[in-house]
Amino acid sequence: MDCRAALMSIEAKADGLLPREAAAELAGHLAGCPACSAEDAAIEAAGPVLRALTGIRAMEKAPALDAMWTRVRAGIEEGREARRRSPWIARWVWIPAAAALAVFALLFYPAGTDRSPFHPSTFDVAVEDVESDVATVALVDKGEDLPRVIWIIEDAKS
Amino acid sequence: MPRAEARGRAGATVPFLLLLLLLAAVPSEAAETVAVDVGAVYASNEGASIDPALGTIRGKLQSMFNYTSYRMLDRKRRSLSVGETGEFELPGRRTLRATLLPAQGDKVRLSIRISDGPRNLLTTTLGLRRGGMVLVGGPSHQSGVLILLISAE
Repeated sequence: MDCRAALMSIEAKADGLLPREAAAELAGHLAGCPACSAEDAAIEAAGPVLRALTGIRAMEKAPALDAMWTRVRAGIEEGREARRRSPWIARWVWIPAAAALAVFALLFYPAGTDRSPFHPSTFDVAVEDVESDVATVALVDKGEDLPRVIWIIEDAKS
Repeated sequence: MPRAEARGRAGATVPFLLLLLLLAAVPSEAAETVAVDVGAVYASNEGASIDPALGTIRGKLQSMFNYTSYRMLDRKRRSLSVGETGEFELPGRRTLRATLLPAQGDKVRLSIRISDGPRNLLTTTLGLRRGGMVLVGGPSHQSGVLILLISAE
């Protein structure tokens, strides 16, 4: 292994990505190369330093984070308390409103119109009398399966 | 049982009972009345469409008449008690007046009068069964005729 390959392996080792065989090969190289060994030692030392630095930063920010969490928790509690305090009448006010709407719909639904298709059950009709002042009227009966028809013939038009 | 839950149940039950009362009141009135349904169909030879709102009567119309197009222009329903007259406005400023006459059993007797302004186009007395239907056709409308579907329930 040359020094260039050794440096790449050192970086891979620091990242925890170096395979076992390559690690053994790197160890052999480091044993005989002071420059690469020094680089490896420097990189190995950088890890704890970075972790310590991160810890220090976190400690610096801790009071601000605590204050923010306190505010969030207070907001959540305030919302819960507001819901607990709301009067029961306010929580159930929609029920009489819905009932009033249903009654209104029942009373004022336009019963004069019907859009459901026609489904007559019988065509049994007795025509007791029929007359017209201005037209000729014919009674058409084409059997029990068909409706009886009273046909108005206006001025021989239809 | 927690008080809030009991109050909630009472709040939901009272309107429900009110609705039940209202619905129960409707059939007692319906038993003494007859719903007269008048549909005005425009039959013509303009196009070849048949209104799906005509339901099962579509095939009957096609087998009885020679028109190619049937379109329902209007449909109205009136609940009538014996002696009461219901007025139905028809296309072309015509009017149909239906008066419910006394009848026995499931029979329905209707006095029908169709007028075109001051002109009396038709006066007839019909005896139907509940759910029955009779057709009145012939009055001209646009380039075709009107066919009235009169039924009683």
